[in-house]
Amino acid sequence: MDNTVVISTPPHVKSRRTTKGIMLDVIIALAPAAIAGIVFFGWQALVIMVTSVLAAVAAEFVYYFIYNGGFTKKCVNAKKVCINWLKQFDYTSIVTGLILALIVPSTVNWYEVLIGAVFAILIVKMLFGGTGRNLVNPAAAGRVMMFLSFSLTAYVATNFEPISLDSELFTGATHLSGWLLGGESASGHMEWLDLFLGTGVAGCIGETCKLALIVGYIYLVVRKVIKWWQPLLYIVLSAFLSVCMAATVEGATFDISLMLDYALSGGLMFGAIFMATDYVTSPKGLYGQIVYYVLLAVLTSLLRFYTKIEVVSFVIMIMNLIVPLIDTYIVRKPFGYVKEKSKEGK
Amino acid sequence: MIFGGVHLRDEKNLTCDKPTEVPSAPSEVRISTRQSAGKSAIPCVEKGQKVKEGQLIAKADGAISSNVFASVAGEVKDIVKMPSAAGIEETFIVIASDGSGQTDYLAPLTDPSAQDIVQRIYDAGIVGMGGAGFPAAVKDAPKCKVDTLVLNGSECEPYLTCDHRLMVEHTDDIVRGARYIARALGGAGIVIGIEKNKPDCIAAFEQYDDVKVVMLAKRYPMGSEKHLIYSCTGRKVRIGKLPAEAGVIVHNVGTAYAVCQAVELGKPLYEREITVTGKAVKEPKNLWVKVGTSIKELVEYCGGEAVAPKKVVQGGPMTGVALADYDQYIYKTSDGILLMTADETDCLEPTPCLNCGKCADVCPMHLMPMQTAFYSSAGDFETAAKLGNTLSCIECGACEYVCPARRPLIQAIRKTKAAMRAKNDKEVKK
Repeated sequence: MDNTVVISTPPHVKSRRTTKGIMLDVIIALAPAAIAGIVFFGWQALVIMVTSVLAAVAAEFVYYFIYNGGFTKKCVNAKKVCINWLKQFDYTSIVTGLILALIVPSTVNWYEVLIGAVFAILIVKMLFGGTGRNLVNPAAAGRVMMFLSFSLTAYVATNFEPISLDSELFTGATHLSGWLLGGESASGHMEWLDLFLGTGVAGCIGETCKLALIVGYIYLVVRKVIKWWQPLLYIVLSAFLSVCMAATVEGATFDISLMLDYALSGGLMFGAIFMATDYVTSPKGLYGQIVYYVLLAVLTSLLRFYTKIEVVSFVIMIMNLIVPLIDTYIVRKPFGYVKEKSKEGK
Repeated sequence: MIFGGVHLRDEKNLTCDKPTEVPSAPSEVRISTRQSAGKSAIPCVEKGQKVKEGQLIAKADGAISSNVFASVAGEVKDIVKMPSAAGIEETFIVIASDGSGQTDYLAPLTDPSAQDIVQRIYDAGIVGMGGAGFPAAVKDAPKCKVDTLVLNGSECEPYLTCDHRLMVEHTDDIVRGARYIARALGGAGIVIGIEKNKPDCIAAFEQYDDVKVVMLAKRYPMGSEKHLIYSCTGRKVRIGKLPAEAGVIVHNVGTAYAVCQAVELGKPLYEREITVTGKAVKEPKNLWVKVGTSIKELVEYCGGEAVAPKKVVQGGPMTGVALADYDQYIYKTSDGILLMTADETDCLEPTPCLNCGKCADVCPMHLMPMQTAFYSSAGDFETAAKLGNTLSCIECGACEYVCPARRPLIQAIRKTKAAMRAKNDKEVKK
């Protein structure tokens, strides 16, 4: 034995899984949605994706470079800092950039995406401490920021699920699938197959083709990156609640078949599969997770019903903020735990 | 399965079909006086004194301690203090063998009473052979009524096959030993839990009418006391309570074998089965070795290193202690020596915690290790213990095994436990 042996606390065997591997899995799972986006929306979509990913990675690099003293003492450490950055680079900023690109419409300007991606990485992620320390999902926050800042240029026109200028659309269930289509073709009835495949649907780059999303979902579940019931609980419950709420409108009837329309429309599916399940910003224990997804579903359907705009990013952001509360107050009971009987009772 | 746990790469096929070999007696042994949980034994021999194999050389100090015996016949060369693998200073009794092999056993017992058996288990210095090394006599004189004796044949640690070989080669001895323990417990029923990757062991024990064999799923940590009891009997041991309060006592199969030898032959515990394995050792083997044998000698007996090991571990890969050198000696509780290649072990640097919650998913005790790690890294051990329920942790290592960020969770948990213990001690003093 020479002196190269390693001494550490047990366990001495580890699973093959690493953070990098998981992030790579997420990127692979996002690939079908990205490809579908390029097919439907053309080179504009590709430009947005590339801009977003590059901006995200660059923002992370610049922050790391400055923070670790790349510029101090006339850049003597610059090379070392770069190498260290490459060593610790775990693909998380690629995932953030890609997700952000997939949840904006293809008509946004490239500089808007750039600002959004830089905001997501610099402000939302790095300032809070980098990987694993961000309070809210960076991509969701980036999109919300873009939505609030540039909404007039892009979102109203093409984002099909939100904003209706015609309030009549919301008065009856029969028109409901109409508003899913967006402004121009509001009177037509959307076939669920079109919604499912994303053909002819206006929407965000990665959100339209549900088939691609489901392929990604299956991949993530098979690779055990996410738990199968989590997105399902969110989607099904929020669709069901939406149907219930739609039925409360005067003159409307309870139509369970509308559930499919709600589930397939907008950013719900994408958000449920790729954003709500983000490790950093979701609860850890089983009960906490159930509470989290149920609340997500309730908030989504409520806000969708009352604000008439696409709310998934907002809802995910809001729920992210109360995750620390959930984790603090919903503590799991250890194996063999028996509730203490109160002494007064005896 | 109600609890988490992990599937581990087994690697038992390196040694599981290899019959036990007995290496020639070492020329010198170094026997630590700290062979069990609790206090160290007090040496009762002097430098230069002649001893026989099986002679008492250190006396147990109280109930939670164990007698220590000479494992070779010869002369006491020295009594030295040196650090153990865990870094704790221990007293070692060095005996140079004279090659005579003279033995000095206790008197064999025929048809012993319950009290005789408990006394013999204490006299023979028998400790839990699974690794924790709790003195067996204390367990076998419980304060509550115990109706079931569970034998732990799960051997859920990867690589190790010493219990496996013992179960195949000494089935009858183990069963007789278990019957003695059951008698000491006042006629308890005997259940043996064996993981299903050892069909030969299951078949061997199924021949006995008075032994109920439970086939366990292959899952780590199946051999943890609480989970074994739950899997074998359906009873849950309450947090902070002993298994005896659920009416169950658990013993390792190795302990039952030692009890059988102590009762029938009067042979005290100074030998044990051990697995020397890993891909960095030339010929992995199961060995029957004497307590105090140096690890260096055993590795040499197995052909030495095939390649330079990345990690040398005493014990199993999930709970064992990493060694800095081969100058360590076999204890009553040593169950394996692993020489692991860089491919087998994983020495990646920790990366930031992702909060993925995989540690909580696999935790067999349903704890939240990430909370412990988070708060203890900030020095807030109280919150760490409260949110992570750290004091219930069995330190099985499943959480750190799955951690994709390679966080040192077990280290954080141990640190938190130590801090909380220190705090409690302080409060008691006040």
